[in-house]
Amino acid sequence: MHWINWLIVVAYLAWVVVDGIRKSSGTDTIAGYFVANKSLSWWVVGLSVMATQLSAVTMIGTTGQGATDGLRFVQLYFGLPLAMVILGVTLVPLLHGSGVYTAYEYLERRFDAKTRSLTAFLFLLSRGMSCGTIIAAPGVVFSAIFGIPLAWSVALIGIPTVIYTMIGGVQAVAWADVKQMVLIVVALLAIVVVLVLQMPVNPHDALQIAGATGRLETFDFSFTVNETYTFWSGLIGGTFLMLSYFGTDQSQVQRYLTARSVDEARTSLLMSAYWKIPLQALVLLVGVGVFVYYQFVQPPLLFNPAHEEAVEAEAGAAYAALEARYGETFGLRESAAMQVAEAEGDLDEKLSAFLAHEADLQGIRSEALALAEEVTGENARDVNYIIPRFVLSELPIGLAGLFIAGVIAAAMSSIAAELNSLATTSVIDFYRRWVKPEATDAHYLTVSKGATALWGLFACIVATYAATLGSLIEVVNRFGSFFYGSILGVFLLAMIPRSRGTGAFLGLIAGMGTVAAVTFGAPSVSFLWHNVIGAVVVVVVGVALGGGSPSPNAETPARTGPA
Amino acid sequence: MTTSESTHDARASFRGTLTKVLMVQAAALALLGLLQLFYTR
Repeated sequence: MHWINWLIVVAYLAWVVVDGIRKSSGTDTIAGYFVANKSLSWWVVGLSVMATQLSAVTMIGTTGQGATDGLRFVQLYFGLPLAMVILGVTLVPLLHGSGVYTAYEYLERRFDAKTRSLTAFLFLLSRGMSCGTIIAAPGVVFSAIFGIPLAWSVALIGIPTVIYTMIGGVQAVAWADVKQMVLIVVALLAIVVVLVLQMPVNPHDALQIAGATGRLETFDFSFTVNETYTFWSGLIGGTFLMLSYFGTDQSQVQRYLTARSVDEARTSLLMSAYWKIPLQALVLLVGVGVFVYYQFVQPPLLFNPAHEEAVEAEAGAAYAALEARYGETFGLRESAAMQVAEAEGDLDEKLSAFLAHEADLQGIRSEALALAEEVTGENARDVNYIIPRFVLSELPIGLAGLFIAGVIAAAMSSIAAELNSLATTSVIDFYRRWVKPEATDAHYLTVSKGATALWGLFACIVATYAATLGSLIEVVNRFGSFFYGSILGVFLLAMIPRSRGTGAFLGLIAGMGTVAAVTFGAPSVSFLWHNVIGAVVVVVVGVALGGGSPSPNAETPARTGPA
Repeated sequence: MTTSESTHDARASFRGTLTKVLMVQAAALALLGLLQLFYTR
């Protein structure tokens, strides 16, 4: 990468860390460190919520998915606006108004200590692991693209994030998120502008090619539980997933607990309700645009440069033969694509020729990927490398650095929120609850900073192992969905007056057991439906076992945070 | 303000917000739908 691009990346990293530390004033109490003394404006919280959800996986994996699969992934978010509005009138006032530091703390007030501890433990387990995969996603890609050891790229992202999160607490995280969100959107828009300016055909023709290959098929109305991305799984399963993520996951709950009032917390979530689907469509459209661009400019046969190098060294002759066929077929597809783009009226014949060449080209790519897998012994799937390779070879100097900084920003904003919430839950729900209930704020602050550093170290170690797991997007979503629906079920039970602690606890176990049984017994059922199944089972079991005497803690709240 | 008035206000506010959010999303989805309708073959 050009030194100017590196300069932009380093300048950005330095700015985020220095400004994060500068924003740490007022965090000398646990209320300041964990919930910013409930002082942040709705737009800061709203951008923080969006930045937390938009990780590096979105920047490199989802854009790559746009290039290979088109727009249909956006269906995953169809339930999000509805979920945000529901949360605005249910859990947000409940959690913000009750003065808790963590969502799980509320469960002890409503039910009992064991329900609180189990849900908090499940959060630590799933988020601790997923935090590692969030660092791994860009870490693996940067390692291959820049030819640096994985440990270095993990450290490049992990160390600055741990520093500002540890020193500045939630306030530093939220303000860093604001800058990161702006950088991410600017980087995405920069790619769109470059694509439009450099595309050899006009936008209408580009859409014609994208449409001919199915890349503009957003909606799939088929009702099948085995297909992950359909209108119905997105709307129903997606609503449950988003209710769980934004309503019960401490990494998100902690964002809106920092808002000045319930109204501002509610408004901050509505920012996502309005902007998430358009933003996600933009991310996918970037990928679709890159796909069309590569109809006219020959892309690499293998997008992962580390695999490309290994195959050239170990199986040079076979790879050269594949490259020759690839070049020849690309030429044929390029002229067929131009004919489709310029066609007026009936284009069935031209389309058939184009699709036949496209299939041939993908066949050669599959052979190259199989060869890479044979040579390296690793999964050769290279979806996550499409956009970074495009950026580094096609974007002007400066803009490429901006995009790489944007990917790092996306990773940092998600990791910071996770580290912050992991430390908060560890300290509030376990250390203060079970180990040392009475201590000074100074003591809890020291422990919290230590916990942030330890979780950061753990995440970096996990990152090096998670790299060998398959599709990074699926991994992140799967970790969450195993527990998400069931935890949502417990919070839904909390809103049902007749439910009791034992019912909630047993319901939670039954919900997770059912999701585990479905995961292993019927693996073809899409993970989005696991959220619905988990939540429904917990509520049904919890209500069936409810109706006894009130939980001992129901009327006597445990220690509270700021109101 | 009585409890029932407050509940009524909350419901009206929820309906209003939901309507606005759904209208914006409907516009975004309509755009994506038009792209699919006109360009997918």
